[in-house]
Amino acid sequence: MKNLLIAVVLLASSTSVLAADTPIVGNVQTRCLITTDTNGVFGNPLPSKLSTASADGGVVPVVRYDVTLADAYLAKVTTPTAFSASPSLSDSVTWTGSTAVSKTSDAAMSGYEAAKVTYGSTTQFDLTKAGSTWFSSTATAVYGVSKSFPGGSYTAIVLAECIAK
Amino acid sequence: MKAILLLALLPFGNAMAHEMTPTYPVFTESFMAGISVTTMNLFNKRTDVSYYEIGVFDDEWEPIPFVSQYTIIPMEYLDTLAFDVYVSNLSLGSVEYICSVSQVQAGATVSSKICSRIK
Repeated sequence: MKNLLIAVVLLASSTSVLAADTPIVGNVQTRCLITTDTNGVFGNPLPSKLSTASADGGVVPVVRYDVTLADAYLAKVTTPTAFSASPSLSDSVTWTGSTAVSKTSDAAMSGYEAAKVTYGSTTQFDLTKAGSTWFSSTATAVYGVSKSFPGGSYTAIVLAECIAK
Repeated sequence: MKAILLLALLPFGNAMAHEMTPTYPVFTESFMAGISVTTMNLFNKRTDVSYYEIGVFDDEWEPIPFVSQYTIIPMEYLDTLAFDVYVSNLSLGSVEYICSVSQVQAGATVSSKICSRIK
Protein backbone atom coordinates (compact mmCIF):
# COMPACT_ATOMS: atom_id res chain seq x y z
CA MET A 1 0.00 0.00 0.00
CA LYS A 2 2.85 2.32 0.94
CA ASN A 3 4.62 1.58 -2.35
CA LEU A 4 1.49 2.38 -4.27
CA LEU A 5 1.15 5.70 -2.47
CA ILE A 6 4.74 6.62 -3.25
CA ALA A 7 4.23 5.71 -6.89
CA VAL A 8 1.13 7.93 -7.12
CA VAL A 9 2.95 10.86 -5.51
CA LEU A 10 5.89 10.47 -7.87
CA LEU A 11 3.61 10.22 -10.86
CA ALA A 12 1.71 13.34 -9.83
CA SER A 13 4.85 15.36 -9.28
CA SER A 14 6.25 14.14 -12.57
CA THR A 15 3.10 15.25 -14.39
CA SER A 16 3.25 18.58 -12.67
CA VAL A 17 6.82 19.13 -13.83
CA LEU A 18 5.87 18.27 -17.39
CA ALA A 19 2.94 20.69 -17.28
CA ALA A 20 5.17 23.46 -16.02
CA ASP A 21 7.44 22.96 -19.01
CA THR A 22 4.68 22.96 -21.58
CA PRO A 23 5.24 25.94 -23.82
CA ILE A 24 2.50 28.15 -25.11
CA VAL A 25 3.28 29.20 -28.60
CA GLY A 26 1.57 31.75 -30.77
CA ASN A 27 2.04 33.56 -33.98
CA VAL A 28 1.10 37.19 -34.27
CA GLN A 29 1.13 38.44 -37.80
CA THR A 30 0.10 41.69 -39.29
CA ARG A 31 -3.30 41.61 -40.88
CA CYS A 32 -6.05 43.81 -42.17
CA LEU A 33 -9.69 43.01 -41.61
CA ILE A 34 -12.37 44.93 -43.51
CA THR A 35 -15.75 44.81 -41.85
CA THR A 36 -19.01 46.17 -43.16
CA ASP A 37 -20.28 47.85 -40.06
CA THR A 38 -23.40 49.41 -41.54
CA ASN A 39 -24.91 48.95 -44.96
CA GLY A 40 -25.97 52.14 -46.66
CA VAL A 41 -29.49 53.09 -47.59
CA PHE A 42 -30.54 55.71 -50.09
CA GLY A 43 -33.02 58.28 -48.99
CA ASN A 44 -35.14 59.94 -51.66
CA PRO A 45 -35.66 63.53 -50.51
CA LEU A 46 -36.45 64.77 -54.02
CA PRO A 47 -37.75 62.90 -57.06
CA SER A 48 -34.42 63.49 -58.78
CA LYS A 49 -32.15 62.74 -55.85
CA LEU A 50 -30.96 59.69 -53.97
CA SER A 51 -28.69 60.27 -51.02
CA THR A 52 -27.25 58.33 -48.11
CA ALA A 53 -27.11 61.45 -45.93
CA SER A 54 -29.20 61.16 -42.80
CA ALA A 55 -30.61 64.63 -43.48
CA ASP A 56 -32.01 63.17 -46.70
CA GLY A 57 -33.51 60.17 -44.97
CA GLY A 58 -30.68 57.84 -45.86
CA VAL A 59 -28.24 55.76 -43.90
CA VAL A 60 -24.53 56.31 -44.34
CA PRO A 61 -22.54 53.13 -45.01
CA VAL A 62 -19.80 52.53 -42.46
CA VAL A 63 -16.78 50.31 -43.00
CA ARG A 64 -14.38 49.34 -40.22
CA TYR A 65 -10.72 48.55 -40.78
CA ASP A 66 -8.85 46.56 -38.15
CA VAL A 67 -5.08 46.47 -38.50
CA THR A 68 -2.76 44.71 -36.09
CA LEU A 69 0.46 46.43 -37.09
CA ALA A 70 1.07 50.15 -37.33
CA ASP A 71 2.13 51.70 -40.61
CA ALA A 72 1.57 48.59 -42.72
CA TYR A 73 -1.57 49.42 -44.69
CA LEU A 74 -3.32 52.09 -46.70
CA ALA A 75 -7.09 52.29 -46.57
CA LYS A 76 -8.82 53.40 -49.73
CA VAL A 77 -12.54 53.97 -49.84
CA THR A 78 -14.21 54.69 -53.16
CA THR A 79 -17.73 56.04 -53.31
CA PRO A 80 -19.97 54.87 -56.15
CA THR A 81 -20.03 56.45 -59.58
CA ALA A 82 -22.72 54.20 -61.00
CA PHE A 83 -25.56 52.01 -59.85
CA SER A 84 -24.81 48.31 -59.67
CA ALA A 85 -28.51 47.65 -60.06
CA SER A 86 -31.31 50.00 -61.06
CA PRO A 87 -34.25 50.34 -63.37
CA SER A 88 -33.45 51.40 -66.91
CA LEU A 89 -32.26 55.01 -66.91
CA SER A 90 -32.47 57.16 -70.02
CA ASP A 91 -30.60 60.19 -68.71
CA SER A 92 -27.27 60.75 -67.02
CA VAL A 93 -26.70 60.52 -63.29
CA THR A 94 -24.43 62.96 -61.51
CA TRP A 95 -22.62 61.45 -58.55
CA THR A 96 -20.99 63.13 -55.61
CA GLY A 97 -19.49 61.46 -52.60
CA SER A 98 -17.07 61.77 -49.76
CA THR A 99 -15.52 59.62 -47.07
CA ALA A 100 -14.55 60.61 -43.55
CA VAL A 101 -13.23 59.03 -40.38
CA SER A 102 -16.24 58.56 -38.13
CA LYS A 103 -14.66 56.75 -35.19
CA THR A 104 -11.31 55.43 -34.03
CA SER A 105 -10.18 53.01 -31.35
CA ASP A 106 -7.18 55.13 -30.45
CA ALA A 107 -6.96 58.86 -29.88
CA ALA A 108 -3.63 58.82 -31.70
CA MET A 109 -5.56 58.20 -34.92
CA SER A 110 -7.14 61.63 -34.76
CA GLY A 111 -4.84 62.88 -37.49
CA TYR A 112 -6.18 60.46 -40.10
CA GLU A 113 -8.92 62.80 -41.26
CA ALA A 114 -6.63 65.78 -41.78
CA ALA A 115 -4.04 63.67 -43.56
CA LYS A 116 -6.42 61.98 -45.98
CA VAL A 117 -5.82 62.24 -49.69
CA THR A 118 -8.75 62.46 -52.10
CA TYR A 119 -8.56 61.82 -55.80
CA GLY A 120 -11.62 61.30 -57.96
CA SER A 121 -14.14 59.40 -55.90
CA THR A 122 -11.43 57.68 -53.85
CA THR A 123 -10.22 58.77 -50.44
CA GLN A 124 -6.98 57.34 -49.10
CA PHE A 125 -5.98 57.09 -45.45
CA ASP A 126 -2.59 56.06 -44.15
CA LEU A 127 -3.18 53.64 -41.26
CA THR A 128 -0.17 54.61 -39.20
CA LYS A 129 -1.50 53.17 -35.95
CA ALA A 130 -2.65 49.71 -35.00
CA GLY A 131 -6.30 49.40 -34.10
CA SER A 132 -9.73 50.00 -35.58
CA THR A 133 -10.93 52.86 -37.71
CA TRP A 134 -14.46 53.43 -38.91
CA PHE A 135 -14.99 55.24 -42.21
CA SER A 136 -18.35 56.60 -43.32
CA SER A 137 -19.12 57.49 -46.91
CA THR A 138 -21.87 59.68 -48.23
CA ALA A 139 -23.04 59.27 -51.78
CA THR A 140 -25.53 61.34 -53.72
CA ALA A 141 -26.99 60.65 -57.13
CA VAL A 142 -28.91 63.30 -59.06
CA TYR A 143 -30.81 62.26 -62.15
CA GLY A 144 -30.72 64.42 -65.28
CA VAL A 145 -31.86 67.99 -64.76
CA SER A 146 -34.41 67.68 -62.01
CA LYS A 147 -35.75 64.54 -63.61
CA SER A 148 -37.58 61.99 -61.52
CA PHE A 149 -35.85 58.67 -60.93
CA PRO A 150 -38.00 55.83 -62.28
CA GLY A 151 -39.61 53.74 -59.59
CA GLY A 152 -37.72 50.65 -58.57
CA SER A 153 -34.81 49.39 -56.58
CA TYR A 154 -31.41 51.08 -56.72
CA THR A 155 -28.14 49.71 -55.42
CA ALA A 156 -24.68 51.23 -55.53
CA ILE A 157 -21.46 49.86 -54.14
CA VAL A 158 -18.75 51.39 -51.99
CA LEU A 159 -15.33 49.83 -52.59
CA ALA A 160 -13.23 49.43 -49.45
CA GLU A 161 -9.59 48.52 -50.09
CA CYS A 162 -6.78 47.68 -47.71
CA ILE A 163 -3.43 47.80 -49.48
CA ALA A 164 -0.21 46.67 -47.83
CA LYS A 165 2.51 49.33 -47.89
CA MET B 1 -43.65 61.28 -55.65
CA LYS B 2 -43.05 58.07 -57.37
CA ALA B 3 -42.51 55.20 -55.11
CA ILE B 4 -38.85 54.71 -55.39
CA LEU B 5 -36.88 53.14 -52.83
CA LEU B 6 -34.37 50.94 -52.54
CA LEU B 7 -31.92 49.98 -50.37
CA ALA B 8 -29.44 47.79 -49.20
CA LEU B 9 -31.53 45.00 -48.01
CA LEU B 10 -29.12 43.55 -45.53
CA PRO B 11 -29.67 43.84 -41.83
CA PHE B 12 -27.98 46.61 -39.94
CA GLY B 13 -25.48 45.96 -37.23
CA ASN B 14 -24.55 42.61 -38.70
CA ALA B 15 -20.80 43.01 -38.98
CA MET B 16 -19.34 41.22 -41.98
CA ALA B 17 -15.64 40.89 -42.55
CA HIS B 18 -13.04 39.90 -45.10
CA GLU B 19 -9.44 39.07 -44.23
CA MET B 20 -6.43 37.84 -46.17
CA THR B 21 -3.00 36.96 -44.77
CA PRO B 22 -0.05 37.10 -44.80
CA THR B 23 0.43 40.79 -45.36
CA TYR B 24 3.91 40.23 -46.78
CA PRO B 25 3.99 36.84 -48.50
CA VAL B 26 7.24 35.26 -49.55
CA PHE B 27 7.62 33.17 -52.70
CA THR B 28 9.63 29.96 -52.60
CA GLU B 29 10.60 27.47 -55.30
CA SER B 30 7.73 25.14 -56.11
CA PHE B 31 7.98 21.51 -57.10
CA MET B 32 8.23 22.66 -60.71
CA ALA B 33 11.43 24.16 -62.05
CA GLY B 34 11.09 27.83 -62.90
CA ILE B 35 7.89 28.29 -60.91
CA SER B 36 7.64 29.90 -57.49
CA VAL B 37 4.79 29.55 -55.06
CA THR B 38 3.37 31.25 -52.01
CA THR B 39 0.44 30.29 -49.81
CA MET B 40 -2.26 32.78 -48.89
CA ASN B 41 -5.08 32.48 -46.38
CA LEU B 42 -8.52 33.91 -46.84
CA PHE B 43 -11.27 34.29 -44.27
CA ASN B 44 -14.87 35.04 -45.20
CA LYS B 45 -17.08 36.46 -42.52
CA ARG B 46 -19.38 38.15 -44.99
CA THR B 47 -22.84 36.68 -45.26
CA ASP B 48 -23.38 38.61 -48.48
CA VAL B 49 -20.30 37.24 -50.25
CA SER B 50 -19.83 33.72 -51.58
CA TYR B 51 -16.96 34.31 -53.99
CA TYR B 52 -13.64 36.11 -53.95
CA GLU B 53 -11.53 36.88 -57.00
CA ILE B 54 -7.77 36.60 -56.78
CA GLY B 55 -5.41 38.82 -58.74
CA VAL B 56 -1.64 39.33 -58.98
CA PHE B 57 -0.34 42.76 -59.99
CA ASP B 58 2.85 44.69 -60.55
CA ASP B 59 3.62 48.07 -59.03
CA GLU B 60 1.57 49.81 -61.75
CA TRP B 61 -1.40 47.56 -60.98
CA GLU B 62 -0.99 45.76 -64.27
CA PRO B 63 -2.09 42.12 -63.99
CA ILE B 64 0.58 39.42 -63.91
CA PRO B 65 -0.16 35.87 -65.09
CA PHE B 66 -0.45 33.39 -62.26
CA VAL B 67 -1.94 30.02 -61.52
CA SER B 68 -3.93 29.04 -58.47
CA GLN B 69 -6.42 26.41 -57.52
CA TYR B 70 -9.06 29.01 -58.25
CA THR B 71 -9.17 32.45 -59.78
CA ILE B 72 -12.65 32.83 -58.38
CA ILE B 73 -12.75 31.19 -54.97
CA PRO B 74 -16.07 29.92 -53.70
CA MET B 75 -16.32 30.42 -49.95
CA GLU B 76 -19.07 29.76 -47.48
CA TYR B 77 -19.74 32.11 -44.62
CA LEU B 78 -17.03 31.72 -41.94
CA ASP B 79 -14.86 29.63 -44.26
CA THR B 80 -11.10 29.86 -43.95
CA LEU B 81 -9.18 28.75 -46.99
CA ALA B 82 -5.49 28.39 -47.81
CA PHE B 83 -4.61 28.64 -51.48
CA ASP B 84 -1.36 28.58 -53.42
CA VAL B 85 -0.36 31.20 -55.96
CA TYR B 86 2.14 30.06 -58.58
CA VAL B 87 4.11 32.58 -60.62
CA SER B 88 6.78 32.04 -63.24
CA ASN B 89 10.23 33.02 -62.07
CA LEU B 90 10.41 35.23 -65.16
CA SER B 91 7.59 37.37 -63.73
CA LEU B 92 8.52 37.02 -60.09
CA GLY B 93 10.57 40.21 -59.95
CA SER B 94 7.58 42.22 -61.11
CA VAL B 95 5.07 40.86 -58.61
CA GLU B 96 4.07 43.55 -56.17
CA TYR B 97 0.56 42.75 -54.96
CA ILE B 98 -1.64 39.72 -54.43
CA CYS B 99 -5.23 40.82 -53.99
CA SER B 100 -8.57 39.30 -53.13
CA VAL B 101 -11.76 41.12 -54.05
CA SER B 102 -15.22 40.22 -52.84
CA GLN B 103 -17.76 39.46 -55.52
CA VAL B 104 -20.83 41.10 -54.12
CA GLN B 105 -24.30 39.77 -54.60
CA ALA B 106 -27.34 41.82 -55.45
CA GLY B 107 -28.28 44.01 -52.53
CA ALA B 108 -24.79 44.29 -51.07
CA THR B 109 -23.48 47.84 -50.79
CA VAL B 110 -19.82 47.35 -49.88
CA SER B 111 -17.18 45.56 -51.91
CA SER B 112 -13.97 44.76 -50.05
CA LYS B 113 -10.49 44.33 -51.46
CA ILE B 114 -7.36 43.34 -49.55
CA CYS B 115 -3.93 43.38 -51.11
CA SER B 116 -0.81 41.79 -49.67
CA ARG B 117 2.54 43.11 -50.84
CA ILE B 118 5.72 41.36 -51.88
CA LYS B 119 8.70 43.01 -50.23
